[in-house]
Amino acid sequence: MLVVEHLTKVYEDGTVALKDVSFTVDDGEFLVIIGLSGSGKSTLLRCINRLIEPTEGRILWNGVDITQASEAEMRRIRREIGMIFQHFNLVERSSVLTNVLTGRLGYLPSWWSLINYFPEREKERAMAALERVGIADKAHNRADALSGGQKQRVGIARALMQEPKMILADEPVASLDPVLAHSILGYLETLNQEQGITVLCSLHYLDLVQRYATKVIGLRDGRLVYEGTGEQIRNITDEEFKQVYGQEAQRLSVGG
Amino acid sequence: MGANKSSLAKPSWLQALLSLLVPGLGQAVSGAVSRGVYIFLSVVTLSGLAVFAAAQRPRYPDYALSFRAYLYFLLESAALLLFLLALYWLARRYAMKTEFARNVAAPAFVAVTVVVLFLAAPQMLETFLSAAQLKKLYGMTSLLTAFVVAAIWAWNVYDAAWVRGKDFAPSMGNFYMLVIVGVLVLGTRIVQINPAKAIREYKDTGVILGQIAWPWRVAFDYSRSELVAIAKVQAPCPPGSNPPPVQQPKEGRPWVSVTPTCGELSKRDAEGHLTYGTLLTIRGGGFKPNKKVHILWANPLGNTFTPRGFGPTDIQVGPDGTFTTKLYIPDVTIPSVAKGPQIHELRVVQRGAAKFTGRLSKDMKLALEAMLESIMMGLMATAFGIVLSVPLSFLAARNLMSTLHTTSQGFVGGVIGLVGGAYLGKLAGDYLAPLVGGLEKAPILTFFIYFTLVLVLAIVAYRLLSRALDSIAERLPALVSFGVGIAGMALIGAVVGYELGLGYAHGILGITRGPEGALQAAPHTAMLGAVLGAFLGGLWAWRLGVHGTIPIGRMIYAATRLILNIGRSIEPLIWAIMGVIWVGPGPFAGFIALTIHSVAALGKLYSEAIESIDPGPIEALQATGASRLQTIVYAVIPQVMPPFTAFTLYRWDINVRMSTIIGLVGGGGIGFLLIQWIHQFQYEQAGLAVWLITITVATLDFISASIREKMV
Repeated sequence: MLVVEHLTKVYEDGTVALKDVSFTVDDGEFLVIIGLSGSGKSTLLRCINRLIEPTEGRILWNGVDITQASEAEMRRIRREIGMIFQHFNLVERSSVLTNVLTGRLGYLPSWWSLINYFPEREKERAMAALERVGIADKAHNRADALSGGQKQRVGIARALMQEPKMILADEPVASLDPVLAHSILGYLETLNQEQGITVLCSLHYLDLVQRYATKVIGLRDGRLVYEGTGEQIRNITDEEFKQVYGQEAQRLSVGG
Repeated sequence: MGANKSSLAKPSWLQALLSLLVPGLGQAVSGAVSRGVYIFLSVVTLSGLAVFAAAQRPRYPDYALSFRAYLYFLLESAALLLFLLALYWLARRYAMKTEFARNVAAPAFVAVTVVVLFLAAPQMLETFLSAAQLKKLYGMTSLLTAFVVAAIWAWNVYDAAWVRGKDFAPSMGNFYMLVIVGVLVLGTRIVQINPAKAIREYKDTGVILGQIAWPWRVAFDYSRSELVAIAKVQAPCPPGSNPPPVQQPKEGRPWVSVTPTCGELSKRDAEGHLTYGTLLTIRGGGFKPNKKVHILWANPLGNTFTPRGFGPTDIQVGPDGTFTTKLYIPDVTIPSVAKGPQIHELRVVQRGAAKFTGRLSKDMKLALEAMLESIMMGLMATAFGIVLSVPLSFLAARNLMSTLHTTSQGFVGGVIGLVGGAYLGKLAGDYLAPLVGGLEKAPILTFFIYFTLVLVLAIVAYRLLSRALDSIAERLPALVSFGVGIAGMALIGAVVGYELGLGYAHGILGITRGPEGALQAAPHTAMLGAVLGAFLGGLWAWRLGVHGTIPIGRMIYAATRLILNIGRSIEPLIWAIMGVIWVGPGPFAGFIALTIHSVAALGKLYSEAIESIDPGPIEALQATGASRLQTIVYAVIPQVMPPFTAFTLYRWDINVRMSTIIGLVGGGGIGFLLIQWIHQFQYEQAGLAVWLITITVATLDFISASIREKMV
């Protein structure tokens, strides 16, 4: 279970990205974070695995306070939390297999990397992960030879290597077309439902949110302005919508 | 003098007047402050340079032109220009109505101005220079600069009349153009560029340039067939002496016969007047017919010379291979120890044509060896440069280092660990070194053992202690760990302060008080430094508080960058001079110089390549729980490989190029040979070196370009 309490992030230049955000995510939840660009979605996700150092507040992950963890503890926590990114963040010049294998680094001794050593069982695990996202045939291609959808599947395979209990997905489909978006979110949903992996995912399109979320939180200017179940988001009122997206916002599409 | 003025604006006479008095003042008053500053600084700088170049150069006192004279000339020029400008302005405003006239006006004005100024310059100069001074004035360059400054001055007055602060600022194109012209004219003068001299004096260097351009004659050995015949002659010829017998002709062999075989030397008295000695009749045979023979004289010590002025020395051989000639015994300096009659030799030599043997000459072999030395020097310097600069470049990459923070306890542990570990490494080295033979028997292995032990133990101790102190500090009560932090920082501060105090005494006080005084003051300054350092260190830890962090990454980044910048700002040739002082002349000194410069240059290029990578993969790997090392290996290195390869090849190129001339200052390699040959006026040999350098550099250029094409 993930408990976020009074989380605040103020950047060095004084920008307040998050202001007193509190919420709880139960195990096995598919939590979607909605909000405009710059509302603090990315900052929130990165505070959870401390890619960004929170200014105030606590984040409890199965009872352990992530914000107080030492460097070594943080490494153990991070390897249980997979992350996928809007721009995939693959190492373009490395092979697909190497990119997937890097997901396992948190479990392997540091100095092995000096001789570029991965045990055979990890390579098998990586091939299995690629098999699951359906691009095992691309394993030995360079990552920059893949299309956007394929790259994001490599990103998911890399997260799977961590055997994660939770996946943080930062706008995973914002750079993809709608068909690919459903395919990627479909993988996440499968992982969520079949393996009980908790998913925290930020999304732009309301129809996608309504289709996949079991729980939704809305951020606006760093504040939590909406909290609801999957049921509630499918029946979101205009007033709630404007609370998240601002008074000038128009609801454009329904269904999808 | 463009007239792109706003139709709304009217000229402001007050500002124009102010700028006439002080350039730029008018502009500044109307609100364009920086514009005014530019103009003022340009006029002052150009004037200063002009006076420096034309007047006050101690190396050329003849050309002296006083500052006062320059100023008069400048003011007169400016007045003249302003007058012309005013005429131009009036003409445009009232006389020129057609488009054509306006288009012609500007170039016509410039042409007229130049002509008038050139015509007027001597007149103007005469008003404050005597005819003798005027004659000595060197060229027109100093006058031209004054013209340019005057033109800027005039432009500035015109400009001041139209500028309206920030609301209306006409283009400064003319101003910049004038400044550039002024700088170029001055540059010509200061660099003493003189094409006429280059053309006039070319013929003196023609022969030498030719030798350097085509030196291949000395690259190979040539064989000559030589027919030699020798006849002995005794001199002087006192009665009762025993002269050598007259040679008889020999069949099938070159022979020479001299009569008489005994005679007196020619003599030269103190005034240089010559008295001829005995006249010898020389007959010879057995030489190749219809070719020339050459006659040489060898004194009793065996030194040979051509006896010019005592008879013909180059004689045509007849069709039967014989010749006859006459020669006075030349004047020969006899060694003072020699007494009585001496035996001299007359040698007749017939040289065949030079034959190409295909063997390289000694000089060419020397040059090739030195060239190889140079290439290897460049190669080794590049290799060591890469090995040393890669780790440094990671320390000098802002994006990697700025995230590194440590607590004061961790910092204390780290510093103590680093120093202590290095010391332990040295002790371990002391123990191990004798086992492999020590510095005398196995210098490279011993050095390697020391280097590895010190480095590894320092890093291990650093990591262990910084973590240990960090985690101990967490478990201790806050106040105690705070105290540990303060005490540790004070200790580090004291040590650093002590060293700085010593350095201050020897470095700064050494200048003012001399070495004696510095030695006397050292204990006090060191103690003062220690106390001050301890105070500052403690204060820093205090200010950090219980949970504060030290941006250790940024500190290392700044320090590494500083070191790299210093290393790079000092040219390899200067480093080579230091290397020669350090390890003596030779390729090792050159290697040290090139390595230091390579490390600094590559370190900067590499670190900039690291700074410009995509941060996404780093973020992704950090999120998987990868350690710092793993992140670097799998997210940073793949991204920096192409720029690293390109920079390395580029550096290799530079290093081989530099290694060919680093010998000029004693750094070994072909440059060393080149400068020796030049000093000995052996220009053909020097030409060989120049050719080898050119061929090597061109080949290398080609190779590195094609590798770069393939790899990057």
